[in-house]
Amino acid sequence: MIRLTKVELRRLTARRLTIVGLAGLFVITVMLLTATWFNARPLSTVEQQRAQQQFELAHKDWVDNAAVNRQQCEADWKTQPDPKPTLEDMCAYPEPKLEDFGKPKTVFAEIMPDLLQGSSYFLAFAAFLIGASFIGAEFSSGAIGNWLTFEPRRLRVYGSKLLAAATGFVPIAAVTLAIVLLGTFLIVDRLGDTAGVTGHTWGDLSAIGGRAVVTTALAAVLGCVVGLLLRHTAAAIGVVMAYLVLAEGVFAAFLEKAQPWLVRVNFDAFVRHDAQYYVTECKSGNDGSYGCESVVKTLTFEHGAWYLATLAVVMVLIGGWVFHRRDVN
Amino acid sequence: MSDVAISTRGLRKTYRTRRGRKVVAVQGLDLDVPAGGVHGFLGPNGSGKTTSIRMLLGLVRSDAGTMTVFGKTVPAQLPEVVGRVGAIVESPKFFPAFTGRKNLELLAEAIGAPRTRVGEVLDQTSLGERGNDRFRSYSLGMKQRLAIAATLLKDPDLLIFDEPTNGLDPAGIREIRETMRGLGDRGKTVLVSSHILAEVEQVADTVSIIGHGRLLASGTVAEVIGGGAAPTVKVAVANHEAATRILTAAGMTVRADGNYLLVEGAPEPADVTRRLAHQELYVSELVPVRADLESVFLELTEGEGL
Ligand SMILES: Nc1ncnc2c1ncn2[C@@H]1O[C@H](COP(=O)(O)OP(=O)(O)OP(=O)(O)O)[C@@H](O)[C@H]1O
Ligand SMILES: [Mg+2]
Repeated sequence: MIRLTKVELRRLTARRLTIVGLAGLFVITVMLLTATWFNARPLSTVEQQRAQQQFELAHKDWVDNAAVNRQQCEADWKTQPDPKPTLEDMCAYPEPKLEDFGKPKTVFAEIMPDLLQGSSYFLAFAAFLIGASFIGAEFSSGAIGNWLTFEPRRLRVYGSKLLAAATGFVPIAAVTLAIVLLGTFLIVDRLGDTAGVTGHTWGDLSAIGGRAVVTTALAAVLGCVVGLLLRHTAAAIGVVMAYLVLAEGVFAAFLEKAQPWLVRVNFDAFVRHDAQYYVTECKSGNDGSYGCESVVKTLTFEHGAWYLATLAVVMVLIGGWVFHRRDVN
Repeated sequence: MSDVAISTRGLRKTYRTRRGRKVVAVQGLDLDVPAGGVHGFLGPNGSGKTTSIRMLLGLVRSDAGTMTVFGKTVPAQLPEVVGRVGAIVESPKFFPAFTGRKNLELLAEAIGAPRTRVGEVLDQTSLGERGNDRFRSYSLGMKQRLAIAATLLKDPDLLIFDEPTNGLDPAGIREIRETMRGLGDRGKTVLVSSHILAEVEQVADTVSIIGHGRLLASGTVAEVIGGGAAPTVKVAVANHEAATRILTAAGMTVRADGNYLLVEGAPEPADVTRRLAHQELYVSELVPVRADLESVFLELTEGEGL
């Protein structure tokens, strides 16, 4: 089994799609860092001067008019029908500050979790694609038949392939995420705000990264299983695209309450340690009015973890059972 | 060591087509392949040769029946004997984007064969320098050679070739034939399937003929053909009516075949010429028609109710 896994790893790394996929990952990583750099870049002197002028104008306006405006507003407030907003909500005229003009500073601890999560999406996608084609190509070319005349123990063959795909993606995901993490830190350290980044921050970020490595390996395994079930790379990718559009897109939009049972929110909940999703809740009021509002719900990390683990186990078992029984031509 | 390489009893396989129809590919096949020498596995298209081979290799599950390979029950004990079995089923199938060498290296590593073995088998099949080209770019003959090279990685005692000469040119066919003969002479067992008797009879020591998934005949080539059709000759002669009368009177069976007459039951082709010449009918052409698988097969299946 170890020997077979090594052979499969060798095959995985020799495949062109793997190489192309890695190059693609690298390009995306570079693009991500470039975008971060652009966003974090401070304003030019001209822009800074313009911001300063804007601030001075606004400040002068505030000095001249704030008191009058306030009085006017308080008068208006009294005539508001119930339920009234609080006076402070309606009539606050805070003094403008220079920081409000121009560009806010990029804060490392604020942007990093989103960047890691974004990276986990494209890592998972790449892993699924490469996993699906890793097995799909073997079935569509018929090479699996030849392979089985060398190693007829199918469950070993199956296990070695999944293991190779999963272990092959661990270093890939780890390196990609490390580049995103450290690259962003270096950029923000120079251009933005890394003050207050503690060991705790790093611990949280590494945990997100670690879980993104797990989801990448999982995506590779699921790719293999779907590739095996459908026998063709293109079919596997088509099915996943259809799932994303129909289930995660259309179905989730019409039946928002089903979201906890779809992959995406669970994926987020696992990677980010709890995730929010939105549900529209409509109800009629006592006065006969009818209104809808968007309610934020939280899906727990545990839910996400159990969901993904169950999905993986079920799929791996189905794939194993099918491969064990399948007639190979 | 047992003296049978392969033995099957009551082997059965029914496929279910996509539309739910059942196709009986193999129905109760009893096959015995003696160890050592070349065994031809003959049958027309769709008679179940490939399916039987796939079942022996554990690629397809049988519905009923038993199989042994070198005395081991297959597929249960297949892992114990698979190292002694090399097989090419239908067309050679490898990873198209990898070189021939890479394909072999992966297989060698999977069975724990030394890497040097890859170079050796490439040389043995005269693929040598072409081994570094992608499998996709190979001609059919080269693919076939690579498949043979792959089976040689194991140095197997039993080689199973399923229609190995399909699509090859005469030189390629000859080469494969010589390879098989050579293996047989070295004491290896070769099972070669084909639907063309002529292709196999030159190399096979023994043959089995199947039709509709059943064994129809088996034995040495001579036994099987001899037991089948009597020699037939194709005769060109001016007066068909007179010739038919004369030959029929002599106890032969005569059928018209375009401008020719097909004569069966003549003890010797010369008898036909002699009898006609006696009556001043001169044969302008006379060709012995070889007993081919088709006629043997048709004869064998007559009255089988197939
Ligand atoms: N995967 C399959 N699904 C359904 N039917 C099949 C399948 N494979 C083979 N068959 C059917 O089983 C029968 C036997 O096919 P098989 O390929 O074993 O014949 P064969 O003797 O090898 O023929 P050939 O000389 O053409 O290669 C045929 O009727 C064929 O249509
Ligand atoms: Mg066939």
